[in-house]
Amino acid sequence: MLLRTTRRRLFTLASMVLLVPVVALAHHSYTAEFDTTKPIKLSGVLTRVEWANPHIWLYLDVKDDSGKVTNWGFSASPPGMLQRRGITKSSLKLGDVLTITGHRAKDGSNNASGNVVTFPDGRDARIGQDQALNPTEGAPDAGKKR
Amino acid sequence: MSTVKGRIFLLLIASLGAAQLLAGQSIPRMPDGKPKFSGVWAGPAFLHVVGPDDTDTPRVTSFDRSRMAPFLPGAEAKFFQKPTGDLLHDDPTALCLPDGHPRKALAPYAQQIFQTGDSVVILYEYMHFFRVIPIGKPHPADVELTFMGDAVAKWDGDTLVIDTIGLREWTLSASNGWHSDALHTIERLKHIDPTTVSYEITIDDPKIFTRPWSQTFQMKLHPTWALLEQVCEENNRCQGGNCTPSESQKAK
Repeated sequence: MLLRTTRRRLFTLASMVLLVPVVALAHHSYTAEFDTTKPIKLSGVLTRVEWANPHIWLYLDVKDDSGKVTNWGFSASPPGMLQRRGITKSSLKLGDVLTITGHRAKDGSNNASGNVVTFPDGRDARIGQDQALNPTEGAPDAGKKR
Repeated sequence: MSTVKGRIFLLLIASLGAAQLLAGQSIPRMPDGKPKFSGVWAGPAFLHVVGPDDTDTPRVTSFDRSRMAPFLPGAEAKFFQKPTGDLLHDDPTALCLPDGHPRKALAPYAQQIFQTGDSVVILYEYMHFFRVIPIGKPHPADVELTFMGDAVAKWDGDTLVIDTIGLREWTLSASNGWHSDALHTIERLKHIDPTTVSYEITIDDPKIFTRPWSQTFQMKLHPTWALLEQVCEENNRCQGGNCTPSESQKAK
């Protein structure tokens, strides 16, 4: 029940986030670490979460066509920025089968950016730092209602 | 007739009263009557749409090019410095170096303000930086150039005005260029309502721009927030594009 409530809350928040045209994060140069010409989408079992700065890392055991399992790492937003959006460490459950989209690490290792995560029930949540590629130039002026 | 006039008069009085109430919606004040800014704020780099559980949405925020003044002759190249391939130059924060003022104020992290009668302290969650800003004092005669600069404050009515100099040449904001060591900023904080503050910042860089220019943002008070720990070096796994394997990847 608690899990269901948490998931519902996460879904609501994720929906809110997805409705926002430019959400953001990342203090690091995204393009220095990830190759935007190499998008990647992988599904696997969540084996590890590093809920740490400057960016959280999620690890999936991904099985290829031959049955070989490789552990892939995905770099997402900083913990604080996710928490402020309502996504907490408990939102990410070890053992869940997740699908993550992002861009491969420039060094060709089994690492990538984790920009959007799809949960087992099909819900998407934007968790990544890719929005830094299109940062918002300026913020609303004082007095404007948002 | 006189009854109608009387009703209109009463309505007018009531409307004026309501308008006054809205306009002067009692903002928090210090014992000396000055506006109070103490609390944990979502700064300019948030959408300020408060969701369930006091949530908000951070986003990378930079200054708007269209707000900037024209460049001085030759200064555009100084501002938009070409990448060199050296992260120390191209993206110092990727090496966990400070972003400095005023970029710090535009970082998508919370900031906490403590206020006394004679000073304002701003704690920035991102990289744990701080500014201790005396109210009513001048800048020292000889200011060392630093990432955060030397800041002093004064009151202009209900507006807190923070004047900062002594900033080393560094990046102006996340996706803007480089300011010079002559940068001088003026920040003006004023309550719009009890939980919303107008944050106007003037960028005065006489080595880069032909004149000072300003941009206005908002800050939103989040009563349930507390500053979080943010240690950049903790797990900086792909610094410079070279990823170190995690424990789970080593075991495979």
